Amino acid sequence: MALTKINIGPVHPSTHGVLRLVATLDGDTVKEIEPHIGFLHRGVEKLVETRMYMQSPSYMEKIDYVAPLSYDELYVATVEAALGIPVKERAQYVRVVQLELQRIASHLLWLGTAINDIGQLFSVFMWCFKDRDIVLKLLEEATGGRMFYVNMRLGGLNRDLMPGFADRTYKVLDYLKNRVGEYEEYIESNPIFMERMKKLGVMSREEAINMGVTGPVLRGSGVDFDIRSAYPYYVYEKLHFRSQFETAGDCFARYKVRINEIKESIRLVGEALKKMPEGDALGMPIKLIGPAPKEKEVTVKRELPRGEGMMYMVTDGQRPYRLSIRAPSFINTATLQHLPNGHRLQDLFPILASIDTVMADVDR
Amino acid sequence: MDEKPYSEEQFVHAKQEMESLAAASLKGRKLPVNAVFGKLSELTKAIAAGPITWGRKSSLWPMQFGLACCAMELLDFGSARVDAERGGYLLFRGTPRQTDVMIVAGWVTKAMIPEIKRLYEQMAEPRYVIAYGECATCGGPWWESYNIITGIDQVLPVDVYVAGCPPRPENLFGALMKLQEKIGGKIVENKI
Repeated sequence: MALTKINIGPVHPSTHGVLRLVATLDGDTVKEIEPHIGFLHRGVEKLVETRMYMQSPSYMEKIDYVAPLSYDELYVATVEAALGIPVKERAQYVRVVQLELQRIASHLLWLGTAINDIGQLFSVFMWCFKDRDIVLKLLEEATGGRMFYVNMRLGGLNRDLMPGFADRTYKVLDYLKNRVGEYEEYIESNPIFMERMKKLGVMSREEAINMGVTGPVLRGSGVDFDIRSAYPYYVYEKLHFRSQFETAGDCFARYKVRINEIKESIRLVGEALKKMPEGDALGMPIKLIGPAPKEKEVTVKRELPRGEGMMYMVTDGQRPYRLSIRAPSFINTATLQHLPNGHRLQDLFPILASIDTVMADVDR
Repeated sequence: MDEKPYSEEQFVHAKQEMESLAAASLKGRKLPVNAVFGKLSELTKAIAAGPITWGRKSSLWPMQFGLACCAMELLDFGSARVDAERGGYLLFRGTPRQTDVMIVAGWVTKAMIPEIKRLYEQMAEPRYVIAYGECATCGGPWWESYNIITGIDQVLPVDVYVAGCPPRPENLFGALMKLQEKIGGKIVENKI
């Protein structure tokens, strides 16, 4: 039978951004997928070179707009490593609380949009966004911004948590715990969802390691690797963090990893708030001329909601000479060349959703 | 087989000749004008102008078209807390042919310009554009970048600009109400 080529995107409701896919089909079966990227490229790494260290966090937040705080923290941690500034102890706890709240918000957004792609289960989308708004409200109260926070400063934070934040957060955490349990119950009792997610887009352990994927995609394939437990930073060691992983390697396993991560993050936030010491958490105010860098080259890695993010910085006086970013979405998107092969065309979108790409993160 | 049975030169002036013949045949004739029908069409237009503008401004269908960060707030705009549907901004549609408003949410790269133009041309008239956020309005933080155009108004005619990075979803509600005012005069204040 003759092969057909069809074009999907760059503007398509299910591609989660401006991703263009050229699919070669044999009847209804996908033979080959060719992702085309670069529709959002704006040259962040180059723009950062012309700015002082602490002028850039605002740029960094826009790399991954679903989880902006994580990138903010990654960049500030890189600068802290380069300038040799230690982070205050209370600030470490507050950072962990905010990062985990951001992870919950990011995974809730993923859950809503992915399930909407799979079978137009629109009510789950509405619920997830309602809950995400509650988490964003907490973050807004803590940092002052609804979506972009720019809350990290060298050695600490821009503002400490408000009095009474912990009590309000415990209530939200209790609520979220119940809600996530309900989602799991509803979603997994839905035959459409189970039919479309199980045994779809299977990635074996060897494949996952060879392709270099990270984050929930890697952990869904049975590799127990999480930067938070493998190379612990801040206070994750003290918080009894357990990384979540599944062994099946299909779309359902990736969904399950993310659901379990939401639960684990809820637990982490509660534990960090209980153990948080009193004291000062404020960082250095933003000054154009800061301390001189101590290191020539630094590499810092962090577990972002989408996978392992890494920044390599070469310092040059008061501004970076070169900043290179390892974006998790970019490497995870490359698996689209292999995963959907042999599946039917309608199964392409559950697979795409399960990888959870953010196109601004891919193109940078 | 390649040789044609006629030469090209024979038909060079054919079109001109046909047009001149048609003009000559119509020269002496008077076309009757139906005066009653003309008045009637004017009347129906005048009567229909009110309902048509009312219909246009009360059911603006936005396109599901997110470029970057602001698209997250666009999703929030359509979801439970803000609930766009109570203002007449119905479901976000995936195809441009069913939509009236294009909300440009995000920075516009040079690679996206032809795609955006094409989407705009596929929309049915009358069509409106909202520049949502700093990047679509003026380039935002990326104004220095080599791959960004500073504002979507260099490519498309923009009706309403929304400032903010990103603007809250409520701001988009306000922008769409401004657009309604622009389409059909003053609107009755929505109770939000």
